[in-house]
Amino acid sequence: MTAERLKTKAEQGYAAQFSELESRSSSQDWVQRLREDAMSEFNAIGLPHRRVEEWKYTDLRARIGEVYGPAGDAAALSGEKLATLLGPLGDIDAVRLVLVNGVLDEALSDLAALSGSCEILPLHKAVDDAPDWVRGMLTTVNPPRPADATVALNQAFLANGVALRTRMAAPGRLEKPIMIVHVTGGESERPTSAMTRNLLAIGDGVEATVVEAHVQLGTMPSQVNAVTETMLGERASLQHIKAQTEGAETTHLSTWMTRLGAQASYRAFQFSTGGALSRNQIFVAFAGEGASSHLNGAVMARGGQHNDTTMVVDHAVPGCESREFYKLVLDDAARGIVQCKVNVHRDAQKSDGHQAAHAMLLSEAAEFDSKPELEIFADDVVCGHGSTSGQVDEEFLFYLRSRGIPEPQARALLISAFTGEAIAKVDDEAVRGAFQTMAEAWLADEGA
Amino acid sequence: MLEIKNLHVKIAEDDTEILKGIDLVLPKGEVHAIMGPNGSGKSTLAYVLAGKDDYEVTDGSITWNGEDITAMAPDERAVAGVFLAFQYPIEIPGVATMTFLRTSLNAVRKARGQEELSTPDFMRLVKEKAADLKISSDKLKRPLNVGFSGGEKKRQEVLQMSLLEPTLCVLDETDSGLDIDALKIVAEGVNALRSPDRATLVITHYQRLLNYIVPDKVHVLSGGRVVRTGGKELALELEETGYAEFGEEAA
Repeated sequence: MTAERLKTKAEQGYAAQFSELESRSSSQDWVQRLREDAMSEFNAIGLPHRRVEEWKYTDLRARIGEVYGPAGDAAALSGEKLATLLGPLGDIDAVRLVLVNGVLDEALSDLAALSGSCEILPLHKAVDDAPDWVRGMLTTVNPPRPADATVALNQAFLANGVALRTRMAAPGRLEKPIMIVHVTGGESERPTSAMTRNLLAIGDGVEATVVEAHVQLGTMPSQVNAVTETMLGERASLQHIKAQTEGAETTHLSTWMTRLGAQASYRAFQFSTGGALSRNQIFVAFAGEGASSHLNGAVMARGGQHNDTTMVVDHAVPGCESREFYKLVLDDAARGIVQCKVNVHRDAQKSDGHQAAHAMLLSEAAEFDSKPELEIFADDVVCGHGSTSGQVDEEFLFYLRSRGIPEPQARALLISAFTGEAIAKVDDEAVRGAFQTMAEAWLADEGA
Repeated sequence: MLEIKNLHVKIAEDDTEILKGIDLVLPKGEVHAIMGPNGSGKSTLAYVLAGKDDYEVTDGSITWNGEDITAMAPDERAVAGVFLAFQYPIEIPGVATMTFLRTSLNAVRKARGQEELSTPDFMRLVKEKAADLKISSDKLKRPLNVGFSGGEKKRQEVLQMSLLEPTLCVLDETDSGLDIDALKIVAEGVNALRSPDRATLVITHYQRLLNYIVPDKVHVLSGGRVVRTGGKELALELEETGYAEFGEEAA
């Protein structure tokens, strides 16, 4: 006998929004089926709560009280306004794809600049036209197992986002970084939500940099659910970078699902300062031998911000390397979480994995939770993990002060150095510089 | 002139008294050495002069050029002209040496009412001073002191000292961990800073450094007090006899 689970108000809200969407939808059957299956899946598992191991530190059932309506058709966004929203990120010389609440804004995007090297489709068009590469990727790149409620939700509302595929001959290199700007919110006085799904297909032997920048328009709370599925061909190389600076009332749910071909190189970096509640998930699967995945990040949080990074790296084949390195600066009553699970399958000999997460706590009330998990079924592997949390080092502080640097400035210098060690792992110089500037701006804001 | 009067200092955390009434006068233009056995309070004195808050002054005072600096914060002392060359200069990962030097120099200049240096002027100044100390530009590109040898670290200390132009230099065991060549370079750097306006306190366990930085006076510290004061020949005498008469047992 099965009993219908009692739904929370938020879960009922999602169900209601889904029926509304369904009545308007005219998509192809296969997409419609994907959505319906995903909604059934979500209805079965519901919003995750603290008794779900993967979500033990981030109780969405308790944190999401109500569901905001979709942002709908976005108000026109001017280039000047966009520049303000981007701040230092705007100085990066990149080819831009601008998504306003998930909808590709062609006027603000540099589609022409990419036409030679890439095929770019707004997601709704990608699912309508359904070229083979889209059908072959969508929802299948590296789906989380067991099913993840936020990814299921994203799938149920699949409509917006962008699909990108490189179409260069190998070996090839995209000259400029591609920046996907996710603008959330609007000028209206109501809280809004946006669900976005992106597809990135980096072809064999192609080298590229993709920056996903999440910024917010207006000050109303938003609920963001953004999923990016990334597939790297053999010997492909991708720097996948994220900056998240949304408003202090925003709930940010993000998932990157990535699959790496043989000898591919994936270097991810996530820099996060925004959002009231942020959950950044990265799922990486090695599908071919000799590939490497480096997941690095920096988090700066204060007030009551809650920032959760959850990673799962799947060594399904032999001879791959994975690294995770995170630095968190937590002030006031902020809470930072880093979970990283590394699975090494029985045949995945010569796997090499190491993870480290370090937090600097600037106040008594700040909290850091670190949960490394290693599940190793092969016998010839090297895997390790490390985690620390501490305060600003008093000896360092005295040294700097003895050289005439006033305490607040000395403290800022040391905190910036702490996050700087993570930011140094960003390969792209312009992005690295922008992140350093953003970190310094965050520090200068302190107590303001 | 540095005047230390009846200085009593304890470790803030556990109330252990380290300095038990130090009296010392160091006029401008002079170099004085503080020698003494291990545990006599030499390094504590250095830290207290720089304002480290692990220590608590329970009695007495420190005045520099007539200004009571006993309660001043470390950065205020630096502005007032106090510089401590650390026995163990600290490695700070993530802080670029040049960023640090510039922040330090400009903070001090600003607080002294001088103009901050422009980037080119600053670069030129650092390069010039670094060349004098045989510090390669490669070392200046690294995070502060990270991976430096003992000698390289001490040279960085002297570089900072020559940039900040302090009037009271306190060198805490600057000779420790140095080979003879490094010692000579460091001593030359210190000697180059000798001037009628500057006072220098050289703290050392061994006489060796004093062959290169010749002191006007030598004070022997033992049990938290100055137990003997003499000319530079006192250092040689101590080299002969050791600190046995001041309570340190022969090794």
